[in-house]
Amino acid sequence: MVPMSCFVGLSAVLFAIGVAGVLLRRNIIVIFMSIEIMLNAVNLAFVALGRRLGSMDGQ
Amino acid sequence: MAQRNPVHCLLALVVTLLTIAVIFIGLDAVTVGFLQAIVYAGAIMVLFLFVIWLLNLQAELRSAPGYLALKAISGLLCATLVPSCSCFWATRRPRRRSGGCAGRLWIDRDARHDAFFRLSGAFEITSVLLLAAIVGAIALARRTPAPQTAAAQTAAASGAPARSEGT
Repeated sequence: MVPMSCFVGLSAVLFAIGVAGVLLRRNIIVIFMSIEIMLNAVNLAFVALGRRLGSMDGQ
Repeated sequence: MAQRNPVHCLLALVVTLLTIAVIFIGLDAVTVGFLQAIVYAGAIMVLFLFVIWLLNLQAELRSAPGYLALKAISGLLCATLVPSCSCFWATRRPRRRSGGCAGRLWIDRDARHDAFFRLSGAFEITSVLLLAAIVGAIALARRTPAPQTAAAQTAAASGAPARSEGT
């Protein structure tokens, strides 16, 4: 089984990419896409933690 | 280094979202995974594509100027937010069941009950947030400069050719 830290690390990397996109881009659509990446990173963290904790609250 | 064409950015984002959907399915969150693939990669990305085509966005010439150190520091702080919050919740709440939620793949009756009764507060808060987003989008879309139209009307009334000044 893939350890928990991998998913949290992937989520952090995705969130960092999204933050970098929001801060460094000028195009409003691309900034929205970066916000989508950040939302998905948090989603991934929710689902991974929900699996670890054995509850479906995260989903 | 970075992609300048917005359509290329969008296609890369579609690949990323589909990968995240596969990871969701691998994490036994089949419902969320399929919703991710259908709603995000299917609907929202097509919406973005149409917006890009409608606005006729061109490639960016250069990145946003200034405050690079401040941006780097704030980005680092934000990037440490997710793992710290995750580790906080993972260590704080005890593990209820060691086998994971492998037996509850699809949304069953309990999950629906959770979503519509026990978590109805968060559901309503989300709907209020969406309502605020709709109102904000309409307000942004209806933004018309009123004095400029008045000046154009007076110019048209006086017989002068209407000039478009910096619209």
